[in-house]
Amino acid sequence: MATDAGKPAEQTLFVRKASGLVKGWSTGDGFRYSFFSTNIFLGIWGFLYAVFIPGGSVFWSIIITTLFVLLEVVVYAGLISAMPRAGGDYIWQSRVFHSSVGFVFGATGWWFILWLWIPIYAALCVNSFIKPILRIVGAGGAADWLATSWGVFVASLATIALATYLVAVGMKAYANFQKWALWIGLAGCAVAAILLLVTTKAHFITSFNREMLHLYGAKDAYQATVKNAGDGMPSSMFAGNFKDTFKLIPVMAFWLLWPVWGATLYGEVRGAKDFRKNIYQMAGGLLAAVGIVIVFLILVTKTMGWAFFEASANGYMGALYAYIDPAKLPAGSDYLSPTAMTSWIVNNSAFQVILIAVISLIVFGWWGTVFLSSTRMIFASAFDRILPESVAKVTSGGVPVNALLLMAIPSVVVSAFYAFQPSFVQLTYDATLVIAAMFFVTGLAFVFMPWRAKAIWQNSALPKGPILPIIGVIYVLFMGFNLWLWFYDKLNVYGVGYKNKNSMIFMAILYVAAIVIWIIAWAIRKRQGMALEAVAKEIPVE
Amino acid sequence: MKVRVFFATDVHGSEVCWRKFINSAAHYEADVLILGGDMTGKAIVPIVQTAPEHWRYHMLDITHELEGSDELAKGERLIRDHGYYPVALTPEERDEYTSNEEKLEELFHEQMRQTVASWVEWADARLEGSKIQCIVCPGNDDRLDIDDILATSKHIMVGEGNVLDLPQGYQLASSGWTNLTPWDTPREEDEPKLKERLLSIVKQATVPPEHLVFGMHAPPYDTQLDVAPKIDWETLTVQGQDSAHVGSTAVREVIEEVQPILSLHGHIHESRAAVRIGRTLAVNPGSSYTEGMVAGVVVDLDGKNKLKRYRLTSG
Repeated sequence: MATDAGKPAEQTLFVRKASGLVKGWSTGDGFRYSFFSTNIFLGIWGFLYAVFIPGGSVFWSIIITTLFVLLEVVVYAGLISAMPRAGGDYIWQSRVFHSSVGFVFGATGWWFILWLWIPIYAALCVNSFIKPILRIVGAGGAADWLATSWGVFVASLATIALATYLVAVGMKAYANFQKWALWIGLAGCAVAAILLLVTTKAHFITSFNREMLHLYGAKDAYQATVKNAGDGMPSSMFAGNFKDTFKLIPVMAFWLLWPVWGATLYGEVRGAKDFRKNIYQMAGGLLAAVGIVIVFLILVTKTMGWAFFEASANGYMGALYAYIDPAKLPAGSDYLSPTAMTSWIVNNSAFQVILIAVISLIVFGWWGTVFLSSTRMIFASAFDRILPESVAKVTSGGVPVNALLLMAIPSVVVSAFYAFQPSFVQLTYDATLVIAAMFFVTGLAFVFMPWRAKAIWQNSALPKGPILPIIGVIYVLFMGFNLWLWFYDKLNVYGVGYKNKNSMIFMAILYVAAIVIWIIAWAIRKRQGMALEAVAKEIPVE
Repeated sequence: MKVRVFFATDVHGSEVCWRKFINSAAHYEADVLILGGDMTGKAIVPIVQTAPEHWRYHMLDITHELEGSDELAKGERLIRDHGYYPVALTPEERDEYTSNEEKLEELFHEQMRQTVASWVEWADARLEGSKIQCIVCPGNDDRLDIDDILATSKHIMVGEGNVLDLPQGYQLASSGWTNLTPWDTPREEDEPKLKERLLSIVKQATVPPEHLVFGMHAPPYDTQLDVAPKIDWETLTVQGQDSAHVGSTAVREVIEEVQPILSLHGHIHESRAAVRIGRTLAVNPGSSYTEGMVAGVVVDLDGKNKLKRYRLTSG
């Protein structure tokens, strides 16, 4: 049905009374999901990895990456509009290419690799919010324990429990939670921004040194922190050479690629066929997150000092990757959470705890997304009979119980590796790489849709000129560039390239597992009299 | 011997989907084809003549300019494939239909009848000489008089209100009537009346439940088959992600009481799912007609008393 946008004054469509002619879902819901997914705290956490590419400009790499991710938004908005099905990338790749392609990239990207996101979510949350709060309330022992292997593991289990709960309560309840979490969290961010704006650098240094002495017994901590700046760090977020700025793009992709995280859910979203509305929702979420982060970085530069911010990140990564002795760091191996440092400006423990807790809702509101999108991919492949029927079982209360188990149980195993096998933490970028590989194939699916899925393309509301395929090609090249940098990583900057044997083995296990599942399913279904390919193959028209 | 059934539903005027549905028997090697209702379209796209041999229409936010009769035919086909009815009009005629609701209603009626008649003709030609059993059951959005047009077909059997024999001693009891909707559609009634109607149809069946198949347009209430956006009945608007179960309690009760081996449903396009209600497998394959895709389900019945397997399809 045509929408009002661009509609001429005269009558262009006569409708009769028939089922289903309702107005679409609110643009706000889609915006919120994209905003949470392009999470500003994942961004701030991701900046830690920029210390490995000190010659690049953080600001310009954010801008360049955002421009390319806007193309991703167009590609996904187009695919959602043409095929608004629960299952997203899996469905599109299956329909445009082949069932096997859709499953291998869909399962690895939306299912298997999200097991690794669990300990990453946990680490982000523990280090950014939980540990700082524990330090402030005097529970230093508990904070120290959270840094141990068991602490990391238990935090991951708590993450699994919360992510499972948020999916179990259903989309409606989750959307309501997200709504509240967004507004309260943003209110906290606004308070933090005002604090940073009205505080002088001298006052910040005094506050920081006071709290570091109180919490860690470290004297002149600001000056000590700055001493840990790595070699060749740029003098500001704008400074940096061209080559290294481009090398920072995969670092920025770690948080900026995700405004399309809701792609697997759009089969359940009313109005998803509206191409432009999809763009507004996802691009809005992306640009809002980028805008907030840039304002944050400007305020950090003004109040904390860029060199200090970079040095605090380098200190933490140095301790984590064992190139700096934690004993030489004012906060030991603790992450100097920007949220906590901002709260310290006010010399009041209760205020500090409340501010950190309120801001943390930006992360907690996002947590359910880690399993929610995955369950939809699992459902879609169960409907196509690659996975057994029982996988799509939903309880009378609407809980996708088996799909959740397929997420939760392996997440426990991967979390255990992450917690107890120190080298596993270096696989962090695999979490992005595997999804990026899926996005790359989805980009190809978009480019080839006019030829490989003619009926869908012709019946879609997408503009039929060359502009969309061209956008698709540029996006594919962008994703290919990222994949190339990640894989062909001579200096092991991102840590997951061909030089990291563990990373290669880990990814090989994921892809081989997906291929094996598909082959088994293919053999079983063929014996039962209907090949898997037939499920998704287009029926002839004539 | 095994019987393979292919079921699709809610093609809503999409000509490409109708043709695919008829061709799906060969594609999925099905013995029986069942269309579960809502054949007719929801909208007319006026193709307005702006000059001799020049027409313009607006669909899905795109304005199409057509030069000559070839382009006109191409445009009409595109509109039909999308599930809308193309009607070439002068600007004056378009304005007349805009202001005269009764005349517009008549135009809809005429378009629906003509389209169903042409579909029947196409299907008869295609099914000629095949052993495929093709059953079409109208849905709540279909006017009552399309049953008579379907009945003129040589090869299509009309499901509404009937119990039809299927191969291997199975029977299909079907109805396109639904519980009340906010749109006041041609085949809807309150739950007590609907239950009475459904029971009267089911009573005609002469086979045990394990050989009985239901084809009921409305899905059973409070299942994964009947989840739709929650809407305001006055304004027909939906807000946020609120959803509601909108299926029929009558359909659910009849399934629970009779326990057929299979129950096929449609009506709620976005609720593509399969659930078990006691011994009955209830399926709503959903609908993707606006994409030109036929969402369906292939079900294998073992010829004895078991449902061997089912698979949701998209083709």
